[in-house]
Amino acid sequence: MLNRFIRVLALMLVAAALVGGSAIAQTEIVYWTHEDPNRTALEEELIARFEADYPQYKVVRVTNPTDQMAQLILTAFAANRGPDIFNMDIPNEYPYIVNGRVAPVNPAAAGYIDEQSIYDAYLPGTLDPVTYEGELYGLPLEVTNWSIYLNMNVFRDAGLDPLTDYPKTWEQLMDVAEKLTLRDGEIITRRGFDFRYPYYLNFIPSMAAQLGGKLIGDDGKSAIVGDEAWLRVLQYFKDWGPNGKNLGSPTYKAARSIFNFDNNDIGMMESGQYQAARIHNDNPSFLPGEGWMVIPFPQWEDAVADVAEAYYGHYWMVNAQASKEKQQAAWTLLGYFASHADEFFERVAVLQPTQELLNSDMFKNAPYSDVFMSDLAKAPVIYYDENSPQVLQVLKDSIEAVMLQGKEPADVLKTMREGVERALRGEY
Amino acid sequence: MWGWVFVLPALTYFAVFSFYPIFNAFWLSLHTKNPLSLRPPRFVGLRNYLDLLDSATFWNSWKATGLFTLGTAIPLVVLSLLLATIIVSRLNFQRFFQLAFYAPAVIPSVVAAAVWLLLLDPRGVANQWVNFVLGLSGVDHKWLANPEMVRFSTTVVYLWEKLGFFTIIFIAGLGGIPQSVKEAAHVDGAGGWQLYRYVTLPLLKPTTLLVSVMAMIFCMRTFATQYLFTQAGAPRESINVVTLSIYTTGIRDLQLGLANAMSIVLLLVMLVLSLLQFRLSGRGES
Repeated sequence: MLNRFIRVLALMLVAAALVGGSAIAQTEIVYWTHEDPNRTALEEELIARFEADYPQYKVVRVTNPTDQMAQLILTAFAANRGPDIFNMDIPNEYPYIVNGRVAPVNPAAAGYIDEQSIYDAYLPGTLDPVTYEGELYGLPLEVTNWSIYLNMNVFRDAGLDPLTDYPKTWEQLMDVAEKLTLRDGEIITRRGFDFRYPYYLNFIPSMAAQLGGKLIGDDGKSAIVGDEAWLRVLQYFKDWGPNGKNLGSPTYKAARSIFNFDNNDIGMMESGQYQAARIHNDNPSFLPGEGWMVIPFPQWEDAVADVAEAYYGHYWMVNAQASKEKQQAAWTLLGYFASHADEFFERVAVLQPTQELLNSDMFKNAPYSDVFMSDLAKAPVIYYDENSPQVLQVLKDSIEAVMLQGKEPADVLKTMREGVERALRGEY
Repeated sequence: MWGWVFVLPALTYFAVFSFYPIFNAFWLSLHTKNPLSLRPPRFVGLRNYLDLLDSATFWNSWKATGLFTLGTAIPLVVLSLLLATIIVSRLNFQRFFQLAFYAPAVIPSVVAAAVWLLLLDPRGVANQWVNFVLGLSGVDHKWLANPEMVRFSTTVVYLWEKLGFFTIIFIAGLGGIPQSVKEAAHVDGAGGWQLYRYVTLPLLKPTTLLVSVMAMIFCMRTFATQYLFTQAGAPRESINVVTLSIYTTGIRDLQLGLANAMSIVLLLVMLVLSLLQFRLSGRGES
């Protein structure tokens, strides 16, 4: 009797172990990403479909505020507790590649024959920022370049025709912005245009490059090359700021956060193609071609090079410290995401630059795709290196010095050059 | 024996959450370490400290911290004492005033700074209110745009946030003064001001010392307001306090050794200033 009881008990334990064992066999992967309501809805749907197709995998998706991502991920990695998958903009991601914290792409798990077939699938050059010492370390969540969004109603309200009077040059931009700007004394109640502070790496080097300037010299050690070009850029911002023509300032509410609502408070602002989906989400009656349009990144009247705003990428990366099983699961999920580039474009308007998507009618017929693609063709990749956050800080301090502190461009040029060169040398 | 048993939990807590991080910070300050690198820290001796001595940014951050501490801690002590005296002298609504002034202290600094960002926006309430009071129209006081004004703005936010906290401490201190002493002084013919000047203030000295040391340490450790203001576009130089500099050096520049050296210097300065305050206070008493 006791023997039988023991046998039954043993059988039950084995059965429980098997059931429990199958649950343990499910590989859980943790994915950290930044907030974007449209993308969250899509990715949660895709994850549900993925988990149905691959029951052995479980995905935990965590969203964080965009401006907190860099420090949250850094802190997690510093404690060797980084998520299995994450994405950030490439200037922040690049140090993870250089320091060996992310794993190379597993082409087979991601659904490709080999690494070359991944390069073949994407627009040439767009995977360069995640290629390091001959290996590929990421797949693009989005590759983005900014052009200028224009509120047609604000133009009409100021007696301008948006289709003909839109600015083509930086000089015209300042003139048009002056016409569009409304003030209550010194306080601006409607800005004609404002820059996208503090993402200076996106547009400042391009503005200088149009005049022949360079952020980093060809030797990789010198910086802020071409005094005349940089002085012109600094003077432009000095004139733009509250101590100059008072057209805008970093301390006003971000232009892109108010543009969608069409409240007659911003005429133009910089953003990527994804803004279209956000406008539709926030204000469905604000329509492309009627309420808003997109114009190319301006050039200087005497530009020596046709350069558009720098493009940047958010790349999905996989933690090199994750187990082999988790890495396999992670690249399988990311390959699955990447195979739905069309849905990402259709519902979130983020561009995963696959050849297939770029050649599709859906992409070609999307509002102002031609403007964005035309700018993208002229766009350099954003400056990315181990020291890019420091370089960005130097640019930020320099622009604020001329705009807000009333410093002279010639003085700021000197400190800007010293700051960037110090960052290149890795000095404090 | 039992004494050790009773203090053991507190000692364990401080050992794990205070002393160990301090020793670890000191150890790291003698090394170079990139938080992203898997390589172990490299010993460099005092080089990080010597680099700090040579750094204009580091000295500027001390200037910003010094100005902020002087400009905030002194008004904080004086105003909280004043408020506490007024509240204690009220016969009614004491609890209401205590609650009203203490409320900002329970709001997280980040939330408080975010609320103040809205108020200090060029189109926000701050400009409207000041212009109304001064009878002006359309003047932008550049709360966040002008380097001097942004320094003033951080002081205002900090005063608003911490005033209630220190007021409550002073109220507790005032409540601890024996009524018999006041009555004796009253019988001896002391008037209201004399009572306050020669009885209340001297008996309040331990509380005043506590508040002044705490206010100084709090001010030297200020971070959230300056961080959020710079994130919102305010110029960094004038509010680049030491804690903000530690953050950018460690988190943005990935130089943990240097950031820890700055933390150790900050700790030592706070320690020396606190001891100095205790010493000066003791001398005054003798």
